[in-house]
Amino acid sequence: MQGVVITGFGCLTASGADVAGTWVAVLSGESGIREAATWDSSGWPHQLAGEIKDYRPRELVSDRKLLKFITRQDVIGLNAVSQAVAHSRIIEHRDGLADPTSFNDRTGVFVGSPATKYRYQHDYLSPLANAAGDSREFGVRAMEDVHPMWLLRALPNNVLAYVGIQYGFKGANANVTAHGISGSQAIAEACRYLRDGAIDQAIVVGYDSASELEALPYYASVGLLSSRGLRPFDRNRDGTVLGEGAGALVLETRDAADRRGAKIYGEVLGSSVVAEAEGVLSVREDGEGVSRAIRLALEDSGKSPDEIGMISAHANGTRVSDAAEARAFTEIFGAATIPVTGFKWSLGHTVAASGAIESILALLCLADGRAPGIPTLEELSPDCRGANVSAAEQKPRSSVGLVVSRAFAGLNSCIVLSSNA
Amino acid sequence: MTELRSVAITGVGMVTPLGNDVRSTWKAILGGESGVREISGFDASGFPTRIAAEVRGLRAEEAIEDRKSLKYATPFSLFALAAAEEAVQDAGVRPTPATAERWGLVSGSGMMTVEFDFLQRFQREFAADGEIDVARLGAEGERFISSPEFARHRAVAGQALLHKRYDIRGYSANLHTACASGGQALGLAMRVVRSGQADYVLAGGYDTMINPIGFAGFCLLGAISTDNDRPASASRPFDRTRNGFVVGEGAGFMVLEDWQRARERGAKIYAELAGEGNSLSSYRITDSPPSGDGPMQAIRGALADAGETVDAIDYINAHGTSTPMNDLSETNAIKEVFGNRAHALAVSSTKSQIGHLIAAAGAVEGIFCALAIKHSTAPMTANLRTPDPECDLDYVSEGCRPMQIDVAMSNSFGFGGSNSCLVFRSPQRAETRGR
Repeated sequence: MQGVVITGFGCLTASGADVAGTWVAVLSGESGIREAATWDSSGWPHQLAGEIKDYRPRELVSDRKLLKFITRQDVIGLNAVSQAVAHSRIIEHRDGLADPTSFNDRTGVFVGSPATKYRYQHDYLSPLANAAGDSREFGVRAMEDVHPMWLLRALPNNVLAYVGIQYGFKGANANVTAHGISGSQAIAEACRYLRDGAIDQAIVVGYDSASELEALPYYASVGLLSSRGLRPFDRNRDGTVLGEGAGALVLETRDAADRRGAKIYGEVLGSSVVAEAEGVLSVREDGEGVSRAIRLALEDSGKSPDEIGMISAHANGTRVSDAAEARAFTEIFGAATIPVTGFKWSLGHTVAASGAIESILALLCLADGRAPGIPTLEELSPDCRGANVSAAEQKPRSSVGLVVSRAFAGLNSCIVLSSNA
Repeated sequence: MTELRSVAITGVGMVTPLGNDVRSTWKAILGGESGVREISGFDASGFPTRIAAEVRGLRAEEAIEDRKSLKYATPFSLFALAAAEEAVQDAGVRPTPATAERWGLVSGSGMMTVEFDFLQRFQREFAADGEIDVARLGAEGERFISSPEFARHRAVAGQALLHKRYDIRGYSANLHTACASGGQALGLAMRVVRSGQADYVLAGGYDTMINPIGFAGFCLLGAISTDNDRPASASRPFDRTRNGFVVGEGAGFMVLEDWQRARERGAKIYAELAGEGNSLSSYRITDSPPSGDGPMQAIRGALADAGETVDAIDYINAHGTSTPMNDLSETNAIKEVFGNRAHALAVSSTKSQIGHLIAAAGAVEGIFCALAIKHSTAPMTANLRTPDPECDLDYVSEGCRPMQIDVAMSNSFGFGGSNSCLVFRSPQRAETRGR
């Protein structure tokens, strides 16, 4: 079976416009979480969001004509991809080939997508208002008032489609719409097709603008949001904060990377996806899904718990999820004090993007030997004792780390990464 | 490395515009019936297209006794629950506490999760004049939505219901590549069983876009047929006068199983899901190019993955949407890959009868391939009366054709350029190859 290596990455988050900016912010304890500013959120009971700062779409995508056919989250996703592709230098390699057909046919695109958004439906509010309850009139108005390309702008697979069109890649692809594990699962599925030999290299991206207008009150309605800030594993944690962002990676089989003499930044050793099967919003308090995801990912990567040097936890700041994660860490690692960190306190919960962004940051932790502290952690919660977290920076104990992601539908995913080239 | 496993289809279930189970749908397919009618689910009188292929008379409550789950189900999740129930019963195997972690769930699901009545309420409450009153939304929004509504709006809502109903605790994937979703879901599920990541996977697709918002989207795009006066012949793939597809709805699910386990428990096996090709056209959002580039990589990939050559294929269930470009591009892709064999193949589009089930299409059509093998019958392409000189394959336009089918193929190509091609092998051929 082929090893899968990481040859490029890029991201755009609330805390930084690229990987370097995000990494520096996280290391220096800076948070990108603010009061939502893309609309007037003053007076909102839950107004915190990890929004992209200085969002200028014309500077984020190279093809400005495209902006007519895509939405804010697509722009963010495509920006991260362009950063990762530039970082990997695969286009320079491809363009040097006498015949790039096979290269393009064997380059896949794997995406973690937020699927649909409430804001897409807003184009129909005006026809609804004007139709005043007359269903026939609504149809007539909708045909007059709504943009002919509405459906295409709303496609959940726009980033996948435009990555293909922009670069001419034609290989295997998947568009994973699995809420908070989408980004991790995009990495996992890319590895599957790379290992199966169906493709030689893949673009992977997770993207989301989870902190959209309607999301804040609705997530708050089911008790998931904090109005004070995201404080993972803290005694006084009271919810998560939604955010925007995207993370993209270029993955290749080791053979393909070696053939083109690519710089290798690390390796994806294994992965897992498991379900808790408790319903849409329910989470098991015992952390069974998390521990099973970790166990299967370790098995898939051929690693034992004592080889793991660091954990990037889901750490979303909700009461139940953080405690469940801590229990799972205790169950797998016992009393071993493996450094645990997380990134949502700084970036917000970028949902479909989070697994991809956090995998990139975890890789940097392993490569630089630095696991950033969690500055919003004031007092470790008694029910989170299994998580060896700290407000201060810690040092990973090896070059191998875990990235845990969790989602609605009781889904859990774990990625095993190594910073060894 | 352990040897890769073969993947058996041991149970099938579907909800389609032609029937709310496999038996009635297949009977209607053989009888040449059309599921396309004037839209009855909502008032479409203001839209340029007023016909669709709707599911009729589904009483999911009868199949699903779990009332609490139904509260969390959108209409298309109900299709999924009903089709999955049929597939699991048909397979005669379901997760137990001992096997739950070895069961997976892979599905392609639709994109329309917010219900129209919710949007109407939102408009009355927060956008009386069409513009959102942001201050009011901030003040009242948290009380406006109910917990089941919030749950139903999640893209993973259907996935969660299926996991819970069957206690499937292993691998999970929820995919969306528009019209390729169902095909890609079956292909991924096959790989999951093949590699040993799961022993059983419930795999399929479910969708409806037949609501005022989804339907408006297709009408605005001009992609669907406006033959309101002759619904039964509005979907006419490969016909020279074809003018767009007909929107359908429904669900299809299969139980995929490690071949060896299926044999050992004496399961009936419809077919082997033998190969997957998965590609990206990277051309335009709505179409593949006329040359067939994109789809043909998927077809070649599926043949190679299944270890079959062009000579082995007997029947292709085409994507065949009845849009001018798809049917031309697909025909040319088949010609390019199959060369001289192209005209010896039976190629048909069941969308001529059931319409385009979008994210469910590939799953339902994959089941049709399994049934075609089992019943030695190629479904027809209905309504093909005016030949298109550029679409000159054998489209089985005369009616369903009795023929032995050892290897069948199913194509699904999506908006956004994702392509899926699946290869299905008869149990006899699978066993012969295995020896």
